[in-house]
Amino acid sequence: MSPLLEIRGLSVRFDVGDATLTAVRDLSFDIAEGQCVGIVGESGAGKSQTFLAALGLLAENAKAEGSVRYRGREILNVPRRELDTLRGRRIAMVFQDPLSGLTPTLRVGRQIEEAARRHLGMNARQARAKAREMLETVRMPDAEHCLDAYPFELSGGMRQRVMIALGMICRPDLLIADEPTTALDVTIQAQILGLLAEMRRELNTSIVLITHDLAVAAGLCDRIMILYNGRLMESGTTSEVFTSPKHPYTAGLLASLPSLASDPATDLPAISGQPPDAFVTTPGCAFAERCLQVMDRCRIERPVLAAHEGRHAAACHLNTK
Amino acid sequence: MTGPLLTVESLCVDYEQRRAGLFSSRARTLRAVDGISFELAEGETLGIVGETGCGKTSLGKAILQLVKASAGRVIWRGVDLARTDAETLTRLRSELQIVFQDPLSALNPRMPVGEIVSEPLRVHAPDISAKERQAAVAAMFERVGLRTEMTRGYPNEFSAGQCQRISIARAMITQPRLLVCDEPVSALDVSIQAQICNLLRRLQRETGISILFISHDLSVLRYMSHRVMVLYLGRLMEIGRRDELFDNPRHPYSRALIDAIPEADPNQSPLGMADALPGEIPSALDPPSGCVFRTRCPIATPECARERPPDECIAESHRVSCHHWRQARSQ
Repeated sequence: MSPLLEIRGLSVRFDVGDATLTAVRDLSFDIAEGQCVGIVGESGAGKSQTFLAALGLLAENAKAEGSVRYRGREILNVPRRELDTLRGRRIAMVFQDPLSGLTPTLRVGRQIEEAARRHLGMNARQARAKAREMLETVRMPDAEHCLDAYPFELSGGMRQRVMIALGMICRPDLLIADEPTTALDVTIQAQILGLLAEMRRELNTSIVLITHDLAVAAGLCDRIMILYNGRLMESGTTSEVFTSPKHPYTAGLLASLPSLASDPATDLPAISGQPPDAFVTTPGCAFAERCLQVMDRCRIERPVLAAHEGRHAAACHLNTK
Repeated sequence: MTGPLLTVESLCVDYEQRRAGLFSSRARTLRAVDGISFELAEGETLGIVGETGCGKTSLGKAILQLVKASAGRVIWRGVDLARTDAETLTRLRSELQIVFQDPLSALNPRMPVGEIVSEPLRVHAPDISAKERQAAVAAMFERVGLRTEMTRGYPNEFSAGQCQRISIARAMITQPRLLVCDEPVSALDVSIQAQICNLLRRLQRETGISILFISHDLSVLRYMSHRVMVLYLGRLMEIGRRDELFDNPRHPYSRALIDAIPEADPNQSPLGMADALPGEIPSALDPPSGCVFRTRCPIATPECARERPPDECIAESHRVSCHHWRQARSQ
């Protein structure tokens, strides 16, 4: 069975004046049907750009190379009309800031109805009923009142529910959620994560969860991909990555997280240094400068990772000795 | 540790919101901080936690006299800061410093970072020579983990983590005795967060400075604080020693906050987490009557709507504001 989404050799470059910024570097991985995959990395790791490229939503000055196949069909750099049959229908996206994804001057009900009419070909009455149904599905408190509200009248958590309702209206195969809870308070974050887990169980939607927060990914995801400097550093099932990380970067990230179980009397084992510059491409491993187990080889030869086989793997010479 | 360095008594902060109508304008009052009292000892870190609109930032600013309190007192080493003369306040300000959440917007983009760090010295120690000032800045750069030749750079040449180190250097250069840190690591990447947390802890060990550590992140807060204060809609819900509050929270809101923290544990499912604390945070313009938390509280009774719960001291340095804290304990 071919995977739902197959990404091969994807690179994304931005023209910035006379320099080139590389956001995604030769990335290859699969998203299997029904899975929830966490794409984890710090700012500039390339996690958002990977999926913006896949959906043809890159900025004007960006170029994508490689291949992205949805159910075996190439979708990278294809004409907009071809993508329109997928976007919003088969693949939906939810962003960090729900306010920027909603039209400020239209009532929430209108916006959901519009999606129902456009994508599902419903008439006005059916669309109205569908909008109400969707708001109830995402457990919106007082759905009736929300239909007539403008986005600014809703709280951050409620807006995110609206975005998820909009995303789920066509029962997509794949929901890409880009930092969906980062702007929310913890108790509201818990509500939204719970909602995503429910959506997945009830509608069997595959989910890509893009996040900087390892803890958020831990509960929801089956598989985890760790990105750094535009490259895939480690890939495996959630329990593999969390309990026996193979890449020193993953191990360092996990160790540096303060948790409710860590001993507050000792210093946090921080990763020293800064993330590398996206304008520079080094011949070796991008993490070498910050790695405690760095070897001479790491600076000259780039370790490779073949993750699409689905096994637990890391792009690190320590694993290929 | 002797008497408290800082005493905050029934502090209130109000913001006036003017709504311009067609024929009239009416003012509404938003009470951001509502009768908060606590003490802070020398060398102690008090963590302040709460969600949006709980008043944690306003509280920090009111203590530093950056916003005016509408009632209550802030007493710093025996001096009532709101009622002292301007000269004394300026002098005391060198002892009270702040570090903000967004390090880049807190630094003047047109000033070399070395000058940014030396500026407080010009104000608070105008007598020292330029050479001495330079030496102090260089020493401070090294203490916060920056190279001395970086002083000539401008803020945009530095990463967010480095900018936060510069902000901390600027705050520490006057040798303050209280540092208010308002979400100092929230805007930073995970790998940098730990660096800054460790730096703040080291500076506290070296100087014995007291810290008010404001954060929405309980895991970070637990790591940084000796005591923790939980706020909700401007009011104090619970305050107590770190371990006591985390191991045995008495307020249902503290319990819910702790339960809502996602842990880096693959066995924890978010299914059902949605029920941990249902509902939304009410508007601070129109807070619920009685206990402000009652609209989301799992153990609220009609009494909670009628009467505001008192700050009850249930153990040494453990206070709770809940009618039913005895019940919350057994949950």
